Amino acid sequence: MSDIALQGIGLTRRFGGFIALDKVDIAVKRGEIRGLIGPNGAGKSTLIDVLSGRAKNRAGRVLINGEDVSGLTPQQRRKRGMARSFQRTNIFPDLTVEQQLRVASWAVADADIAEVMDELHLAGLADFPAAQISYGDQRRLDLALALVGRPSVLLLDEPAAGLTTEESFTLARILRDLANRWNVTVLLVEHDMQVVFSICDRISVLHLGRQLGEGTCAEVRANPTVVAAYLGTEA
Amino acid sequence: MSTLAHDAVRYAKKPRGTSATAVLLLAGAVALLAGFALPWIAPSKLAMSLFAQALFDALLATSVGFLFLQNGRVSFGQAAFSGLGSYAFGVLVARNLVGAEAALLVALLLPTALAFLLGLVIARVSGVAHAMLTLAVGQALYEVAFRWRELAKGDDGMSFDLPARIFGVSARGLQDPAVMVVLAWSILVIVLVGLALFARSRTGMVAAAIRDNEERARFLGYSTTLPRALVYAIAAFVAALAGVLQASYNGYIAPQMFHWTVSGFALIMAIIGGAKFIIGPAVGAVALFYIKDFAGQVAEYWPAIVGGALVIVTLTMPQGIIGLADLLWRRSARR
Amino acid sequence: MLIQVLNGVVYGGLLYLLAVGLVLIFGLREVVNFAHGALFMVGAYIGFSVAAAGYWWGGLVVSVVAMAIVGCALDATVFRALRRQDPMVTVLVTFGLLLILETFVTAVWGKAYLRYPMPALLSGTVNIAGSPFPVYRLFVIAVAVVVALSLTAWLRFTRIGLYVRAASTDARVASIQGVNVDRLSLIVVGLGTALAGLSGVVAGPLLTLSPTMGNYILIDSFIVVVIGGLGSFAGAFVAAILIGQIHNLGAICLPWAATILPFLLMVGILIWRPAGLAGSRA
Repeated sequence: MSDIALQGIGLTRRFGGFIALDKVDIAVKRGEIRGLIGPNGAGKSTLIDVLSGRAKNRAGRVLINGEDVSGLTPQQRRKRGMARSFQRTNIFPDLTVEQQLRVASWAVADADIAEVMDELHLAGLADFPAAQISYGDQRRLDLALALVGRPSVLLLDEPAAGLTTEESFTLARILRDLANRWNVTVLLVEHDMQVVFSICDRISVLHLGRQLGEGTCAEVRANPTVVAAYLGTEA
Repeated sequence: MSTLAHDAVRYAKKPRGTSATAVLLLAGAVALLAGFALPWIAPSKLAMSLFAQALFDALLATSVGFLFLQNGRVSFGQAAFSGLGSYAFGVLVARNLVGAEAALLVALLLPTALAFLLGLVIARVSGVAHAMLTLAVGQALYEVAFRWRELAKGDDGMSFDLPARIFGVSARGLQDPAVMVVLAWSILVIVLVGLALFARSRTGMVAAAIRDNEERARFLGYSTTLPRALVYAIAAFVAALAGVLQASYNGYIAPQMFHWTVSGFALIMAIIGGAKFIIGPAVGAVALFYIKDFAGQVAEYWPAIVGGALVIVTLTMPQGIIGLADLLWRRSARR
Repeated sequence: MLIQVLNGVVYGGLLYLLAVGLVLIFGLREVVNFAHGALFMVGAYIGFSVAAAGYWWGGLVVSVVAMAIVGCALDATVFRALRRQDPMVTVLVTFGLLLILETFVTAVWGKAYLRYPMPALLSGTVNIAGSPFPVYRLFVIAVAVVVALSLTAWLRFTRIGLYVRAASTDARVASIQGVNVDRLSLIVVGLGTALAGLSGVVAGPLLTLSPTMGNYILIDSFIVVVIGGLGSFAGAFVAAILIGQIHNLGAICLPWAATILPFLLMVGILIWRPAGLAGSRA
């Protein structure tokens, strides 16, 4: 079996005349944590949406562990080990934290939820309806829902959005730790460069729907095109 | 999901574990037993008859409320399913097409199956569009029943005699107020307990999750159409029960049973009673039934009173009467 | 044959007047007015009272004005207060209003069927393709056409019409740009209910008056509005004609089809575009 856990080939997505993704190729090795960066409007969220099945791509293919899942629904992709979190918190407001994690676990053969709850510091909030917990807790819950069942491929869309610097680093550390322990392949969209450089093995750069570059943190930092287009003001 | 449904279920009780299930079953058993005492408690046959009819309303209101609770959908057409139950039973019995037991089975399963299919098809439709669609369903059936004279005399409605025996016992007893009131009460209790158990089962929780956030449920790996359709089916089954009981008690079916105002009133009962609690709609229905009965002279203006009550409750008490009681109970418990 | 088609257009015209009112109200306030059929009915009864006293045309004017006032009152009190709430809340409130209106009419006029008189000017028939066709029905068609044209012109060529179109697309943006959405709504909702009243008066001589006469046509107008697209005036017109024809077909040859077909169309549209009502605004 190939060691590429997640692959997108020639992914293209259009909204009317606007091209959000232009023949994007991406290949992430098993167990790798790949960062996905780029300016606003670069197509990062769109790429995640296409890879996860939330959006249809006009052209190109998506492969999970070598299997072509291009035509599959999000439900079906979950069964093949792909999970995702959301930039705008996407939880179940009227279920308690524990209830929704249970619902998540029933879909993946009754996976253990205690571990996820502990790792993400949600154990104390088990009986609270999700609508009543803090924003930071909700972000972690959003992530927890994706982690239940130890997915083999994890797509994260700005998991630290709206969190304080401290919260972001804590989250990043937890992510790195879990990903390494569980051998999860991660594709992480993130604006916070510190977070990206601290946990990612490699980084892909998107700009205007096209791939601008890909490499290790050091390589990307040094890449003049990338710096000019994006990192100049960030890193 | 609509913000209205969000508000409605925000404070739904979440009892923990098996002890709560035991309490639920125990409460149900007690209620069932209490039901058998009704013929002795009730002051007269008339009182029993009235209560029985209030219970029919309660079942239909429960159907509406359950759909709202588990699917987050407002239906203006549950009377379509109670009407179907009534008509299926009435027509099959009147024409002696099948045995009494089979007629009952068909009367209960036909609306359920239809609702399931409809649920599959309209799973994606929510909010006001859903209200309009269910309205149209009920009315379409009303129109059909109205015009199809060969079926059941159309507009005039049709009386029919109950079969002699059903399940080995005399069926005529169904029209005895004492028998019907106990039967209707028992069925209502069993339905309420059953729905409560469903809500706490895996399927029920998954349905609740889908209600809360359909998209995320999909990303967790769930097909969202089937659970929704199942909830439609269960709700229709409860409505069909109401229809069959009513038809057999009165020995009469009429197109009016499908009318959207019947659905609308059931919806009002559910809202006033509080749809976020399984028992709320039933309480609302019984309350409204007796208020109407009590209102006697002003019964002419009853629709306006109910309409006014709906407006007031909708604007000021989103949790309905039961919700209000629950809120007050919580406040006093905190002191 | 032509006569049959024309009859269908007559009903379609009545539906159009109601549907366009629904579209107007929805456009400004995002409210699906479940009381619209009741307003149709009340308009008919008010017109009837004046017409029965001998002033048929006076009845039309009084009814339209009265229903416009009712609409303004409705907007100022109920719709404005509920504009931030879930649309379902307004549905429920308008449903409550429907019940109140029906009871009110029953209390004042009674439940008995009433006959709306025909205006002397419009009684009589005209020869169309060899068959007599009531002049009054031509009048109904004319009213619908005039309203359709006026409305289109108003929306396209006047400033207020522009504001209405802007506010219908996005009320918040429109208000940021200086459009007083609340005052505009007053006008538009009033217009919508006035049209419902107009439809009621015009329909009066064709139907028998009863407190529940609004129920049937309400459902049909919902179907029209869904099929035509809740934000679309042109769509309402086309759909109204279509449903009018289907309805008439039913009266003649296929009662089954007439009952089920509009409903199936509505279901089909709502499934194909489940955003359905909201989708048309996007």
